[in-house]
Amino acid sequence: MTAAAHPGEAPAPTGFFSSDRFAGYLLTAAVLLPMLAFLVLPLSAILLYSLRGPGGIGLENFTHTFGAPRFWTLVVNSVVMSVVSTVGTVVLAYGYAYGLARAKVPFTGLWRIVALLPLFAPSLVQAQGLILLVGRNGVFNRFLGFDIDIYGFWGVVISNLLAAFPYAFLILSAALAVADGRLYESAEALGARPLRIFRTVTLPATRYGIAAACFVSFTLVITDFGNPMVIGGDFNVLATEVYNQVIGQAQFGLGAVIGVVLLLPAALGKIIEKRIARKQHALITAQSKPLVIRPALGRDVAWSAFVVAVGVLIISVLAIVIVASFVRLWPYNMTLTLRHYEFDVQNGTAPIWNSIFVSFASAIAGVALAGLCAIVVQKVRTPLSGPLSLMAILPSAVPGMVLGLGYVLAFNAAANPLNVLYGSFALIIILNVYYNHSQAFLITSTSLNQIGGSFDEASTMLGASMTRTLGKITLPLIWPTLLGVGVFYFMRSMVSLSAVIFLINPSTQVAAVSVLQLSDRGAVNQAAAFSVCIMAVVVGCLALVRLVLVATGHRNITLIR
Amino acid sequence: MDLSIRGIVKRFGPLTALDSVSLDVPHGTFVCFLGPSGCGKTTLLRVIAGLELADAGEIRLGERDLSRTPARDRNFGVVFQSYSLFPNMSAAKNIAYGLECRGWSKPAIAERVEAMLKLIQLADHAHKLPAQLSGGQQQRVALARAIAPDPSLLLLDEPLSALDAKVREELRTEIRALQRRLGITTIMVTHDQEEAMSMADLVIVMNGGRIEQAGRPVDLYAAPQTTFVANFMGRMNLISVNIAADGRPVFAGMPLTLAGTAQATTRTLGIRPEAVWLLPAGAEGDNIFPATVREVVFLGNITRVAASPDAAPDTRLAIELHGAATAPAIGDAVAVALPAAALRVLT
Repeated sequence: MTAAAHPGEAPAPTGFFSSDRFAGYLLTAAVLLPMLAFLVLPLSAILLYSLRGPGGIGLENFTHTFGAPRFWTLVVNSVVMSVVSTVGTVVLAYGYAYGLARAKVPFTGLWRIVALLPLFAPSLVQAQGLILLVGRNGVFNRFLGFDIDIYGFWGVVISNLLAAFPYAFLILSAALAVADGRLYESAEALGARPLRIFRTVTLPATRYGIAAACFVSFTLVITDFGNPMVIGGDFNVLATEVYNQVIGQAQFGLGAVIGVVLLLPAALGKIIEKRIARKQHALITAQSKPLVIRPALGRDVAWSAFVVAVGVLIISVLAIVIVASFVRLWPYNMTLTLRHYEFDVQNGTAPIWNSIFVSFASAIAGVALAGLCAIVVQKVRTPLSGPLSLMAILPSAVPGMVLGLGYVLAFNAAANPLNVLYGSFALIIILNVYYNHSQAFLITSTSLNQIGGSFDEASTMLGASMTRTLGKITLPLIWPTLLGVGVFYFMRSMVSLSAVIFLINPSTQVAAVSVLQLSDRGAVNQAAAFSVCIMAVVVGCLALVRLVLVATGHRNITLIR
Repeated sequence: MDLSIRGIVKRFGPLTALDSVSLDVPHGTFVCFLGPSGCGKTTLLRVIAGLELADAGEIRLGERDLSRTPARDRNFGVVFQSYSLFPNMSAAKNIAYGLECRGWSKPAIAERVEAMLKLIQLADHAHKLPAQLSGGQQQRVALARAIAPDPSLLLLDEPLSALDAKVREELRTEIRALQRRLGITTIMVTHDQEEAMSMADLVIVMNGGRIEQAGRPVDLYAAPQTTFVANFMGRMNLISVNIAADGRPVFAGMPLTLAGTAQATTRTLGIRPEAVWLLPAGAEGDNIFPATVREVVFLGNITRVAASPDAAPDTRLAIELHGAATAPAIGDAVAVALPAAALRVLT
């Protein structure tokens, strides 16, 4: 029976042109098209350039690169440095998280924040602080009579270790936070000593967390670029080599080859980590009861000492940078001054304002695009939903430097109509959006899952269109999460260096790059002042948003990730 | 307008959730889909609502084919198990939502919302958020929200299962009274046979994606056609029989007299515990067997007795004695009668 038989009734909209399906395809396109242009295209460009040599398409760049002994030195340097740094950071972070979760350490909340401090600054601040502590003109060598040579392998290892520490800590403290108290009680009742309980209960329950922390740290360290630049001296790694090839020698093809090489461990690590994360959940059942920590003097004192030692190390590396920013000329003239905050360097305070502007814009664009992507994947069922969700989490396997290089290769090309964006803030903002896309997407998806689909269905059955449901129901329910995503974007964009380094020109200078350039030039105090400004802006933003959330009654939103 | 459903098929991957389901719901009736979890009752409700798209089949309301109509254009009201009241809106705002979607004028909405709140006796709670209301109040608001836009069909998806027993009973009566008053065709999904029997004009018993039996509650109870329905709607004794050459079923070595007729393929007869008679030992007649008492459980208003026919000691017949009957003791020799009128042929 068709509607024509009932002149009194309007025909119900069906097929493609029903408004909901139309809106669905429109939203899908709004998410998919920029993703193709700004994620898939740059990554394809890397692969393409790595295959394009002077003699046409082929493996020439690869054979050229792999044939050079220098390349294999860099590979060995990168891998050994990353392994040592990863082992160190995971061991320290495990002990730190274990002490906080399983012993009675005073001021637990404070020490948790201390563990996360390195996230508030560009990673190369670690190298900066380390040089001020134990460098040629550092506190130890200069004033305490030591003779330490920190430049090179160990400097890079330690600064990367500190930079990766909060990431490992977040994973491990989550793994240690959940524990089935019954297991510990039965182990104790069976007469197991603490060491045996640790070996047979704690370690097996957290081994997935350990593995995940290892992969995340390794990926971060092997692709980090700022620390080896600042403290590496003659010690070169793959990440710095990409920079040298591309910026120093304009060898895009060779840079792209190393980019592909760096993509491999990152992507592999991501896949393994995802597999592992899936298994972690089944450990706790509804019948589990939480583990209660009873005071034990000896154990508590020992763990407190360990936590304080690591915490003080983290603080002192950052604190020395703050101190250096306030003295006239480290280490020769230690009188206090504010002159480095006058920023009478090239560009003045512009890089800081640029950073704030770029980060703010990235936060807004990121919330819109990644949030919309999560909504489209969950709420709009089209044949494209599957590929879309895969693409949405793709960036988590792409090192920032590789993506940044992809942007240069894709948007510096005259054939690309989008090349008008090259050299503008817009492209830097877009890069930030897609570099951090997967985490923002996953945070929003989780929040949408927690709300569930029943409100949508209720709204639909009451006659609401998809866009009305989105505006009246979904968005009002998830805004605190979206605010959290915005903060995440803001923080990451303020501190990220390796992703944007290729896209910077003098008129689009951001603060993290200023730190690198000033350190490179030996302007230690000014570099420190820039770092302090970045940290102050990040902390200020966190405090402000936390205040808004508390004032509106949303206490359980995680801001630091 | 009558609702007519023809040959609905719904598959989820390899699983067939609905296997060619057809049924008719006359205008103004209250229908219950009853069955265990996974029987397809909720899927059928969701297909009718338009929240799931059927792989095959047709849904008609009156003369209108709704099979391809998007859910939001069907003008059906739904109440979900989890209430699904919008947590960011007050009770009044929740009720107004469907009216806003239909573009009602502000004064008309205000008037309708007020009438609805009065109808569910929550006029004082108009501006409370869902979190400030009790479970029963939330479900009443959900009901008001569903019927406010005057839907042509009301769908209730286990609306009472999240509530505690006392509130559930109150709401049962309230929903039924409201449905009668508004004369709105209503379909409710439930797994609670008592709920279905006490509320519905028509009960559809579902199992494994098919309709097992449909009928008035009293017919389903008195005359179940399958062992599944017999067991799902209360308790029933199942008696294994063989069919003799003359076509009569034989139990414990004795041919049984039936009110109906057995088929050559009949293997099981059913009889309700309260329909079995307990007689003194030595009683004789059609369908009467000498038996031994195995178990006696006193429950106040009724006494449950289990007895086994002496010729079929593996069969235990459950018998319910009402009032202050003088119950036998375990081991007593008795006789049990299976009245022909109460014996049902089951498939």
